[in-house]
Amino acid sequence: MKYSYIKPRKKTPFSTDLQLVLTFFMITIIMLFGTYAFLLFKDYRFVKNRQELEQSKVALAHNIKKMEDEIAYIKKQKAVANEIYTQNMVLKDSIANLFDLVPERITLSRADLLKNGLILYGITPNKDVYNFMLQAPLRSIFQETYTSFYPVQNGWLRFVSTNYINEDEAQTKDDSNED
Amino acid sequence: MKINISRHQIYILLLSLFLFLFVLAFSFGLLIPEGKEYRVKRIEMKKAEQEHDKYQNFNDKTEARLKDLQSKNRNIIAAYERAFDAERFKKEHKKDFTSLTLSKLKRTKDKKEFAVYEVNTTSHISSPKNFYNFLESLNKGDWIIGVNFPIKFVRDGEMINSSFTMKVYCNNKDNNSTASKSSAK
Repeated sequence: MKYSYIKPRKKTPFSTDLQLVLTFFMITIIMLFGTYAFLLFKDYRFVKNRQELEQSKVALAHNIKKMEDEIAYIKKQKAVANEIYTQNMVLKDSIANLFDLVPERITLSRADLLKNGLILYGITPNKDVYNFMLQAPLRSIFQETYTSFYPVQNGWLRFVSTNYINEDEAQTKDDSNED
Repeated sequence: MKINISRHQIYILLLSLFLFLFVLAFSFGLLIPEGKEYRVKRIEMKKAEQEHDKYQNFNDKTEARLKDLQSKNRNIIAAYERAFDAERFKKEHKKDFTSLTLSKLKRTKDKKEFAVYEVNTTSHISSPKNFYNFLESLNKGDWIIGVNFPIKFVRDGEMINSSFTMKVYCNNKDNNSTASKSSAK
């Protein structure tokens, strides 16, 4: 015997209300987990990037140090080269001055330019010419001047003039050049 | 007034309450602390980036300075790098001398990180002017060379015999590695 005209529908625990509640919470939980995963990923990337930046910074610092060393070395190269160029020019002027110093009446046969002195060998017509025209300017340059004369056949005198700058002064000049 | 709630609705209510508490616990327990940490790390990262940029800028400036210095002193750097070649030297300066003889190059005391080699020179010149020209051309030559005392001039008929010592300056590769690097760039 039938008590109803419709077919009995199946009863399920997932009612419409429950489905609605579950859908709402699922979306919320997915959003929360998504945000959390995003933050974790970003933190991981920050750590990685910071490590890379630190490594790059160390490499840059090393490179800067190397370049600074190179700059310092080139500056030294330049300074020493300029010092040598200047010395050569000073030497040129000194030799030119020396030859200008010798009067026409005196003939040099040899000149030894030393670090702290000058030795001249030559012929002079007489002592007076030598004393007035060569020894006087030599005395103004050198502190110690010694001259020896030897007569030659034609009546002229062969001379050897040894001239030295004070050792202390030469040493001071030398030290300043070395620095 | 009587509230009529079915058992099914009570289950839904309990489930909702449980899920709500879960969301709250997750948010306050994990998400918010992680968010704070993210913010701190982002600030630190910005600082690290700024510091890195400073280093990068300084590196670029130093590199530009080095390149400028290298290009301005190219000849001097190359001169220090070049090994002394006696034959080439003679060829370069033969116009100043009637004859030029060089002794074997020998190493002497180093000066300021540079290797110094000494070479004794004997030559014939027709006039002191040739020697002046030689000294001037040394400064424009392929090597860094200084003429040193003692210098001897001896009259030989119409010519002058001259003998002197030259010091050739080179990079000291034994204890200065930057020397070779600077020229390699």
